[in-house]
Order: sequence, then C-alpha cells, then structure tokens
Amino acid sequence: MSRFLWHGLIALIYLFLLAPILVVVIVSFDTRQYLAFPPESLSFGSYAKVFANQTFISAFGRSVMIGLAVGLAAVVIGTLLSMALVRYRFRGREGVNFLILAPFLVPHIVLAVGIMLVLAPMQLLDSYTGIILAHLGITVPYTVRTITMSLMSVDRRVEEAAMVHGATPFAVFRRITLPLIAPGLIAGGVIAFLISFDEATISLFIVSVKVSTLPTEIYNYLEVSTDPQIAALSVLLIAISIVVVIAVEKLIGLRRAL
Amino acid sequence: MSEHHVVVDNLVKTYPGAATPSVDHVSFALPKGEMLALLGPSGCGKTTILRMIAGLIEPTSGAIQLNGREISQTPVHKRNMGMVFQAYALFPHMTVAGNVAFGLEMRGIPHSERGPKVQRALDMVKLGHLGDRRVTQLSGGQQQRCAIARSLVIEPELLLLDEPLSNLDAKLRDEMRDEIREIQSRTGVTAIFVTHDQDEALSMADRLAVMSAGKIEQIGTPREIFDAPANEFVAGFIGAGNFLSGRVTAPGEAEIEGLGPLRFEAPARIGSQVNLMVRPHRFKLAAPGPNAFTGQVDSLVYRGQILTLGISVGGKRLTADLHTHAGHLPAKGETVTLAVAPGDVTFLSEAAA
Ligand SMILES: Nc1ncnc2c1ncn2[C@@H]1O[C@H](COP(=O)(O)OP(=O)(O)OP(=O)(O)O)[C@@H](O)[C@H]1O
Ligand SMILES: [Mg+2]
Repeated sequence: MSRFLWHGLIALIYLFLLAPILVVVIVSFDTRQYLAFPPESLSFGSYAKVFANQTFISAFGRSVMIGLAVGLAAVVIGTLLSMALVRYRFRGREGVNFLILAPFLVPHIVLAVGIMLVLAPMQLLDSYTGIILAHLGITVPYTVRTITMSLMSVDRRVEEAAMVHGATPFAVFRRITLPLIAPGLIAGGVIAFLISFDEATISLFIVSVKVSTLPTEIYNYLEVSTDPQIAALSVLLIAISIVVVIAVEKLIGLRRAL
Repeated sequence: MSEHHVVVDNLVKTYPGAATPSVDHVSFALPKGEMLALLGPSGCGKTTILRMIAGLIEPTSGAIQLNGREISQTPVHKRNMGMVFQAYALFPHMTVAGNVAFGLEMRGIPHSERGPKVQRALDMVKLGHLGDRRVTQLSGGQQQRCAIARSLVIEPELLLLDEPLSNLDAKLRDEMRDEIREIQSRTGVTAIFVTHDQDEALSMADRLAVMSAGKIEQIGTPREIFDAPANEFVAGFIGAGNFLSGRVTAPGEAEIEGLGPLRFEAPARIGSQVNLMVRPHRFKLAAPGPNAFTGQVDSLVYRGQILTLGISVGGKRLTADLHTHAGHLPAKGETVTLAVAPGDVTFLSEAAA
C-alpha cells in the first residue's frame, strides 16, 4: 500500500515538473494571436511563422556558432585545468578549485553585472569575444567537473606503462590519456554548448543588436508581443536539446560498448 | 664494476611522510643476461625498487647504473626498459596487437616491420590468434601474457617483471615460467623479477635477493639461499624448516631442549647458544641411534610424490618430507624414528651464552 502511495507521489512530482512543458507544447499549436490555455483550434501556423522570422533564424545561427566556440574552448580550458588539479599538487590548488566552483554558487544576475563591468572598459560588449568569454565563465566549471571525473578514473599505471615503453609525456597524453577521457570531454563539451545555447540572463547584459542570441531575441520579442510563436520556438529549443543529448548518449554509449 | 650490466648502489626510498624507508640501502649488481629474483613478503619494498629502476619514482638516495652509465637523471621513456606491472596496466582502449605494437611505434619502427614483430611476440605467449581482441575482453591470464609480450617485443635493455605470474592457474604458471625463462635466455635480456612465491624464485632465477622490511637479507644462487641461509628470516622464508636451538656441549654437538643431542658440521664455541635448522626433506626413516629422534606420527599429508609427516618428540614437533617410493610408508599413530646426517643440519647463528 505504502509502495503504491510512493509511486503515486513520484508520478505527481513528474507531472508537476512536466506540466509547464506540456502546456507550452499544446499552446504552440494554437491559432490565436495571444497566449491562452486551452487552445480552441490547432495548426502548425506558429511553426511556419517561426521559420519565416529572419530575426529568429539569424539569431539561431549566431547562438549555434557561439555555442560551438564556447563548447570547444570550455573543453580545452577544462582539460588544462583538470590536468593541473588532478595531476599536480601545487600551492594554491585549493584556491583554484574554489574559484572554479564559484560560478556555481553566485546567482547569474550577479555574475552578469560583474561580467558586464569587466567587459565594458575593454570594448567587448556586444561582440563575439565578449559573449564567448562570458559564457566560458559559466561553462568552464561544468567541463572541469566532467573532465576531472574522467581523469580520476584513468589508471596512472596505464600511463606509466606507456612511459616505460618509450612514450614521451606528450605521446602519453595524446595516445593514452586523451582517448581514455574522451567521453568526459564530449559530455563536458555538450553540456557547455547547451548552457551557452540556453543562457539568457548574462547574455541580456552583454549583447544588444550585433551578436544577439536566440534567447535574447525571444526576450526582446516577448517585450512587444506574446503569441504562440514564442511557444513554438520554445518547443523547437527543447527538441534541439533533447536531440543533442540523445545523440551524445548514443555516441558515447556506442564507444563504450565497442 | 664495468663488467656488470646493471648496478644498484645503496638505493634508498623514503616516501614523503613515512617514518621509515621503504627501501633501505639496497645494493646489487647483475651481469648481462642474468635473471635476479627479488623475493620477500608483501610490503617489503619490491615494487618500489622496480619503480625506481624504471624511473617512475625518484630514489631518496643511491645510484642506478645501466651499461656503466648512471641513469638516475634519464627520463623514463629513454631508459629502454620493458616492464610487466603487478596489475598488467594494459592500454584498455587498444587491441591486444595495439598494446604490443605500442612500444615499437614509440620507437619509430615503420608499420611494415611492426606487424611481424608483434605477431612473433604474440605467438611466443600463445596469444597469436587473439591479436584483434580488445584487451578488456581477455581473461586475467591472457592479460598477463599480453603484458609480457608488450614488454618483450621492444627488446629492452632490462626487463622488469612485477609478479608476472600471480594470476595464472598452476599449470599455466608452470608453462609460463619455463616460457619466460626460455625467452629470457634466448634473447639474453637481463631481467629483474619480483615475486613472493619461493618456488617461482627458486626455479626461475639465476640469483635471488631475499628481502624483508626494505633490506636485502641475503643475495645468492637458489642453491646457496636454500642450503646455506644467512639467517633465520631467510631460512624461514625459503622452504620449510625445523628450527632447533640449543647449547653447544662438545665440538659439533648441541643439546637441543626436549630433544637431546644433535650433531652438526660447523665450528661453534662450547657453551654458546646456537640456532640450527633441518629441512624436512633431510630427515630419513632410520633405526634409533645418534642424530635420530623417535616419536609418534600425529599428522600425515599426502602430496603425490611426497609424504609430509609430523611427529612429537619431548614437546617438540618435527616435520619430515619422505619420498613416497621409499618403501614402507608410516601410518598415523605409528612410532617412527627420523634421522639426519650431521652435514645436513644447517647452522644459522650462534650467540654467547
Ligand atoms: N606511493 C606510496 N606512498 C607511500 N608509501 C608507499 C607508496 N608505495 C608503497 N608504499 C609503502 O612502501 C612499502 C613497500 O611497498 P611496495 O609496493 O614496494 O611493496 P611490495 O614488496 O611490492 O609488496 P607486494 O608484494 O604487496 O606488492 C609498503 O610499506 C607500502 O605501504
Ligand atoms: Mg608489489
């Protein structure tokens, strides 16, 4: 009986978490020009409008480019930091560790103000460099996390065996360490991409017109009009995230199975 | 010094934070092509010595020479050594052949020459048919053999083996023992072999170094170690023994407490306390007489070719190994007499009374 209650409770929690998404999905098919629930008639009209909206399309392109750059850079920086943190005992190691975790602890709005104040004097507001740097600030902690985990699971003896059998330190890294932490690199890169792709708070402080991202354009659009286009766009964003996650899961899962 | 291929001189390793050194002034020298076994109980510092020679950890003090050249400052990858790790340490993301080819690749051997060398090395350890397997899909014994092939294929200057046979079943272990010995003498590679299995050490090595608590207790040929152990530790660690202590009453004769007089062949001062040992296989069934002890058989273990029996004599237990083809075999409860020739009594130490 209690087991039954327990399962019921879990189902309710899931429903509570998924309800907003469900509502958005349903509303995205509404034909009226304002957001309301439930819809009276359904169509793909909003989706067609989204794809015809040049602002959204070009913002999407920029978001993807920024996301890819952030993902790649966050993986490279994360790898270097993780190697230092896992493999070397140096003075101030705890400090570095804390600094890397700090963005987890500080609200994004606070970070946003700080980053803006730093970027402004360097003329980096509303530039690709600026937005990428800002996104790196919040994504590197995640890549350090996943890559550190992978590195800690690499058996030191395996690297030592490579060394003894003639591998230079660089060859050890390239031929042994890198392939062994590849799943962690991919996972970290994807998380960084998705965070950058979804991030609105910080972006709003840093970009205006030149490098506006999809989330900031959604925000701008909402300020003037609320219609089912926004719901349709949201559904598309969720779909992209899900596809990316599933694709990576399959990819890494497959590599592991081989 | 120069005729020795490997010279280890007063090597010391104290791990950071440790109160006592894990390796304490260890010295030995190996001529080219010799196989040395490092033998000792768990934690006595065997792996630590190998890791210092390989360059994976830095000695606290001491010198290591290879071919007359000091190598303490040589980076690991330039030392040209082969090593079989205690836990294999195969490259988990590569195939069996990939693992074996790795060292050749690092040495810049062209692809066309690698193939046949790898195949020969794999055939040698009987893994020739498994080259394309992932190493994670090998049994423990197969992984061990893959690790051996990986370390041999590069024709190293020095081969380091850290308990390479510990995970094999008895039959395969015997085969691999012979195999490693055969490969080692054929290739003429100098080798240092770590084990805590005395049979393995005795049967494989040209010389043995018996260690305890970071120190070498004795170094010598298997025969020297077995027949003339330097002290109680070595005698007890290599092979079984009946340890007998007593007071010297006449030249070459000691009165063993509870047992009676025992004659031995070693100079010892009259009145001093001596520690003697008789290996179980030195006892023979005999009629009562000098150097013979009579008692009732209270344990019997049949081991195929050998029968191990225990008798109690005056509160002491004596163990003897008898060949099972030696005619009459005693039964439990039977009264027997065990005799030992004075020359077969090992003299261990003497202390003034
Ligand atoms: N990295 C290390 N840091 C601190 N102490 C260590 C380290 N490695 C080994 N030791 C200590 O040094 C001693 C010798 O260890 P070592 O691994 O050389 O023993 P071993 O003879 O190979 O033992 P086994 O037969 O169990 O493999 C042990 O007391 C061990 O606890
Ligand atoms: Mg060891």
